[in-house]
Amino acid sequence: MSEKQEKMRQCAEKLLRDGEAGYVIGWGETRFDDRTTPIFVEDPAGAGAFVWNEYAINSLAKYLLDDKYPDKKIGLFTRGCESRAINRLLKDNQIKRENVYLIGVPCDGKKSDRCTLCRERNPILYDVLLWTPEDDPPPAAGRFDRVKDIEAMSPDERYVYWGETYDSCIRCYACRNVCPACNCRECYADMSKTGFQGKQHSRSDNQIFGVTRAFHVGDRCIECGECERVCPMNLPIMGQTQKILKDINELTGEYECGMDATSENYLGRFDLDDKDEFM
Amino acid sequence: MPVEKSFEPAIVAFCCNWCTYTGADLAGLNRMKYPENVHVIRVPCSGRVNPQFILRAFQKGCDGVMVCGCHPGDCHYSTGNYFTRRRFMIMKRLLEYNGIDPERFHARWISGSEAAKFRDTAAEVSEHVKKLGPNVKYREEFRITESAEAGT
Repeated sequence: MSEKQEKMRQCAEKLLRDGEAGYVIGWGETRFDDRTTPIFVEDPAGAGAFVWNEYAINSLAKYLLDDKYPDKKIGLFTRGCESRAINRLLKDNQIKRENVYLIGVPCDGKKSDRCTLCRERNPILYDVLLWTPEDDPPPAAGRFDRVKDIEAMSPDERYVYWGETYDSCIRCYACRNVCPACNCRECYADMSKTGFQGKQHSRSDNQIFGVTRAFHVGDRCIECGECERVCPMNLPIMGQTQKILKDINELTGEYECGMDATSENYLGRFDLDDKDEFM
Repeated sequence: MPVEKSFEPAIVAFCCNWCTYTGADLAGLNRMKYPENVHVIRVPCSGRVNPQFILRAFQKGCDGVMVCGCHPGDCHYSTGNYFTRRRFMIMKRLLEYNGIDPERFHARWISGSEAAKFRDTAAEVSEHVKKLGPNVKYREEFRITESAEAGT
């Protein structure tokens, strides 16, 4: 572990000293042993602050949106999930590839629930790869298990399940803020005058936020699991987006987002032979 | 919630200007009778119908929602309804997944000459929704505690 960490520090230091990158985003220590925090290092001497352990969990890609027009490149440690998020942002025209320098760090799995469904440990997209790629985990057979569990309920049970889930939603919008697919300049939920989203704390408004959020990101979800990780109420909100992915998989065959930066997402294109139930 | 005998459902039909709206107009011209609780909202294209409209309709007290557009291939804007088809194939399943009865949401392709199909669809949806009774799911009047009871 420490050898890899040393490689990361050296690479970051070199990038900063050569002036290739303006700053590097990575993980740093906190005062807790089992936590890391995203850090931004500008000074080559500070590159020793980067850490790499099983608690380097946060996805870093979304920080790129806070600095869309940097003077120099932004260095970014890139695991599988970050590279898919970056593909997402590139496809959505949010960042420019030449503005980022991606330091590939194949991931060996972290101590987080969000890594249990991981299928892409190695970065798909990188400028330099620091060590040999890891073996990808076997395709998780249980990818849509919990969706199937909910589908097995009766409609009323499903309503109560989701209703009770969203009753405890505090509408902090953390799931939106962390999601690499949620990159609108202004979110519909913040538009107070259009009336799309009610602001009351009621089951109805909470559920409508939940379903709408799921639908907005559903076909572009890279299943990184950040939304569930940041949810302060621990709501199983990926159950909604995964339902959409499951349906897309069933309707048109294998579908996965963020594997490249060019292919159009599912709801942004159409096929003349799409399945039709509306005749 | 007990279903009163006099219950008349409120149904919103989003109709595309070029096909279904014309079809509904033709139904009127031909003096065909369709249930008066179907409220037609004219949209430029079925692709205009944001899935949020459906959620919002349920929230504001509709008991059923219809989305109607031109048959695939007949869209006035060439491709609008192909996107609609994809979108609502997903949305329909997502609504069911969230507990909305599948009978409460319908999408149909109705062309400008299919006045009878519009009448039949409207009657069919109205009848189904009438049987189901008033919609309580997603209704904004129901507060957290009340709706928990109504849902169970």
